[in-house]
Amino acid sequence: MSQNTPDKDDQSSTNKKAISLPISRVRLIMKSSPDVSCINQDALFLTTKATELFVQHLAVASFNNGPGKETNSLCYTDLANAAEETETFHFLTDILPKKIFARDYLQSLEQMQENDNDDDPDF
Amino acid sequence: MDGDSSTTDASQLGITGEYMASGHYVLQSQDDDGEENLNDHDDGGIKENFREQDIYLPIANVARIMKNAVPQTGKIAKDAKECVQECVSEFISFITSEASERCHQEKRKTINGEDILFAMSTLGFDMYVEPLKLYLQKFREAMKGEKGIPGVAVGDGLGDELTDDSFTNPLPAGIITADGQQQNVMVYTTSYQQIPTVQQIQFS
Repeated sequence: MSQNTPDKDDQSSTNKKAISLPISRVRLIMKSSPDVSCINQDALFLTTKATELFVQHLAVASFNNGPGKETNSLCYTDLANAAEETETFHFLTDILPKKIFARDYLQSLEQMQENDNDDDPDF
Repeated sequence: MDGDSSTTDASQLGITGEYMASGHYVLQSQDDDGEENLNDHDDGGIKENFREQDIYLPIANVARIMKNAVPQTGKIAKDAKECVQECVSEFISFITSEASERCHQEKRKTINGEDILFAMSTLGFDMYVEPLKLYLQKFREAMKGEKGIPGVAVGDGLGDELTDDSFTNPLPAGIITADGQQQNVMVYTTSYQQIPTVQQIQFS
């Protein structure tokens, strides 16, 4: 029944490996959550598999939003945009903050301070 | 305070992104090398002096999955790969804590498959649930077939054992896709295959 393809690094579509992520590492990450005591084997498998799906999902979603500056190249900004625009990925916005240049930030800061000075307290 | 200074050190400026009107921002250095304090230990064994938040899946594996997911001609920047690594750890923790909470509510100590699936559904990943159920079914059948004992609990060597291709047979199945339309699709339970149901999700 098992047609073994011994190549572990075979990246072609004929690769028959079931899972491409190390389960032990997944367990380690799971156990780092507070109050987690025991993890069922099924749960571990499902989480590992789901993680694969997640990586695919995130990569495709970010890529489809339009690769950033360079054509056809997925970069950090694409990921940050996807996190903000796709509701499913909202939980990533804290670790995927958008980047701006320092000078833009400082300019905006100055502008905001000016706006504060101009505002009349009318409520 | 002139605008063209390259003061990128947030601690010197004493501020975070909280002043910005929309979303979070971090300061980007002019020469962005994309290598802040990301992990240097992503290959090789886990050392015990790891902080919990530094535990990531190996970048090679993550990068490979990404590469197979995007179109053939697409490229992936290094900082994007590292970033997805972190996102993955975040995802795992996210799901686990939700599942763990449900476990506690029901006064159980062991997180089982149902908890994970329920957590995914709750957190907006319900599109994964159906394919995962199929994978799990196949996994169970394969484990039974290999061990000859139903429902055997496999130990820590599971990661190695699963690299055997117990999953060479495709899954003939009438699958309810994400669109709710039933179709007969062969789901190949290899890691690099695009799952038909995932493909049908509209990402735009």
